[in-house]
Amino acid sequence: MIERDLLRQQWLKQYRAPGFYKNLVVNILLSITGLYFAFILVGLGLLFPVIAKEAAPEQAASDVLNGLIIYTGLGVLIFRYFMQSLNTVDQQPYQILPIKRSTLVNYVLLTPLLNPFNYISLLFFVPVSISIISKSYGVWGTCQFIFMNIFMIWFNVLFATWLKRKYESTLWGTLFIMLIAGGLFLLEYFKVFSLFDISKISLHFLLSKNFGIALILTFPLIAFALNKQYFNKNYYTEKFTRKVLSTRSHTGSNAFFERFGKVGEIIMLMIKLVWRNKRTKSTLTVSLLFLLYGFLGYSGLYDDSKGFMYFVAMIVAGNFMLMFSQWLISWNGSHFDSLMTKSIDAREYISAHYFLMLFLNVISFIITTPYFFFGKYVIFLQVSAFLFNSGVILPLCMIFATFNTKRLELNEGSAMNYQGTTYKNFIYVMIIMILPSIIIAVANKLGIANTVIWIYAVMGLIGIMFTKQLIDLCTQQFLRRKYALCEGFRKKEA
Amino acid sequence: MIQTNNLKKFYGGNAVLNIQSLTISDGESFGLVGNNGAGKTTFFRLILDLIEATEGEVLIDGEKVALRDDWKKIIASYLDESFLIDFLTPEEFFSFSGKTYGMSDGDIAIFLETMQDFFNGEIIGTGKLIRDLSKGNQKKVGIASALLPNPKILILDEPFTALDPSSQIRLKRILNQLQATNQTTMLISSHDLNHVTEVCKRTVVLEKGLVVRDIQTDSETLKELESYFAV
Repeated sequence: MIERDLLRQQWLKQYRAPGFYKNLVVNILLSITGLYFAFILVGLGLLFPVIAKEAAPEQAASDVLNGLIIYTGLGVLIFRYFMQSLNTVDQQPYQILPIKRSTLVNYVLLTPLLNPFNYISLLFFVPVSISIISKSYGVWGTCQFIFMNIFMIWFNVLFATWLKRKYESTLWGTLFIMLIAGGLFLLEYFKVFSLFDISKISLHFLLSKNFGIALILTFPLIAFALNKQYFNKNYYTEKFTRKVLSTRSHTGSNAFFERFGKVGEIIMLMIKLVWRNKRTKSTLTVSLLFLLYGFLGYSGLYDDSKGFMYFVAMIVAGNFMLMFSQWLISWNGSHFDSLMTKSIDAREYISAHYFLMLFLNVISFIITTPYFFFGKYVIFLQVSAFLFNSGVILPLCMIFATFNTKRLELNEGSAMNYQGTTYKNFIYVMIIMILPSIIIAVANKLGIANTVIWIYAVMGLIGIMFTKQLIDLCTQQFLRRKYALCEGFRKKEA
Repeated sequence: MIQTNNLKKFYGGNAVLNIQSLTISDGESFGLVGNNGAGKTTFFRLILDLIEATEGEVLIDGEKVALRDDWKKIIASYLDESFLIDFLTPEEFFSFSGKTYGMSDGDIAIFLETMQDFFNGEIIGTGKLIRDLSKGNQKKVGIASALLPNPKILILDEPFTALDPSSQIRLKRILNQLQATNQTTMLISSHDLNHVTEVCKRTVVLEKGLVVRDIQTDSETLKELESYFAV
């Protein structure tokens, strides 16, 4: 059984990796987060009849569910397109062994279906089928509903990988998909074209017939066939990896940063780093999605919980900085010796980080100014959060960064990749991102939330005024940790 | 001038390097040989302030190296791949390296012109990123980036391994020329005794972190080294 050997060897690769046991803490923390979401999903499933009645009292709960299914399906597909990493066997050692091509291809395509993580949506669909579907469509209908969802998961997994292999997740692709999703939403909103109704009618039809399930099964089969066809054309790995860069590009953009001398050179280097590595690039894409978070936070639903609103303001206004702040310094891990032996002062190196982050902060603040239409209070929140991020959070990030001694492999995997994540990152997130909001939430109970938000703004302003001194402080801290960083980055993780 | 005083490095109680005192004067070409684990790379890393000495210190021109930046202006080095920035093209990497040493685009272009033979047409203008180059070509990029700023002190760890025979000969020629014309101080380690004796005027043998031989190269040196390492 070659398939079994392949499975076993991939498993060995996992737990013989030097980081496996060290990452145990991280894995435990991740599972706790996972459990939390599982709990929410099951709860949503069971309470769906109540929620549906509240949201759309004129429709039957089963109709609401059927109508929404196409949207959840699309949402998950988009999510997968961004987040799902492509499954690969390190093909080369296997390609030279007498293993049939199709075995390898099937292995690559089908093993993701074994990943329990993919079936997480069932935590919602099984309870909801019991609480709603069983009442309208009986036992067979309920079974059909559950299996349909499993088939749709297969379809989603296979189709998303096909899209991803074929079109890659480029920035333009992302914008394109966001536009399509936004367009469908608007069409629905203005009642021009309703996917909701299509979904409702077709699901009702399928569930009330006995053969519905067979029709749905054709979806994953088609997606599988598409993948097979793709692999028939592109089998050899070299087609994927060789990417030749035209040297003429990117030279024009240097001009702006060149004015800042050596620090500008290092900033340019880091911009190239973000742009040319898979992992940083997909983070950039994901952070674009996070910009939309404001629609939830400022929608008026949370006007009473100022703590949460401030949290949203920090994330929206400081989006790019916060996303990359967890990787400061350690993103240079694979070429740290180079930077430490070239004629670059420690202070120049730290300043480059500092100003790049400040620059990103200004950019994300500017592109989120449309949220100002949500009213004066949002302006107040955003400006305060911007100042606080730039003057207080940023130096804290820099200091925290010196403790993260794990080498980041930037060119492997994309999002949902926890390589280089340690328990320190969790502590960091707690302190940097959550603590300020908790303080505001407490202040809100005492009725002084706005005062605290003012204080944050002033603290931020002071921090910005003392940028020079803060950079000195961060440099000293960096030098204190220099050897530990050097040593940590030298350790490669398989 | 590089001077080390009572330099020691321990890992978990084991001494990997223990050198009483060593002075490398200006313009000297200093060869370092020794079997695996003898402490060659550790010695270089200590000079470059990439690891912390357990005891002792390294001085360059009388100034301490540890946690300072001034010495970086006069030293250039290549030890391993982590001295490359792999998501850049070679051109971009040379440009970045050169600029940190205050070189202009023109200076860099002139230097690259002189490297053409060594590069053998496989480095410049291919549009490949450094991470997509072969091991040998990566090494050439690293060595060239160390030669680029025309440093007062040059440190290379096993520069000859992974190079093809012609490139080895070219590199030897380049290094010898640098000594003659620029009086560059050189610290070079190698497993190949031939290479070291051909390039270096002084050869030091390390074993388990200790200096066991310190000889001025002459016609007998190669024989002496060969008999030392014979098993």
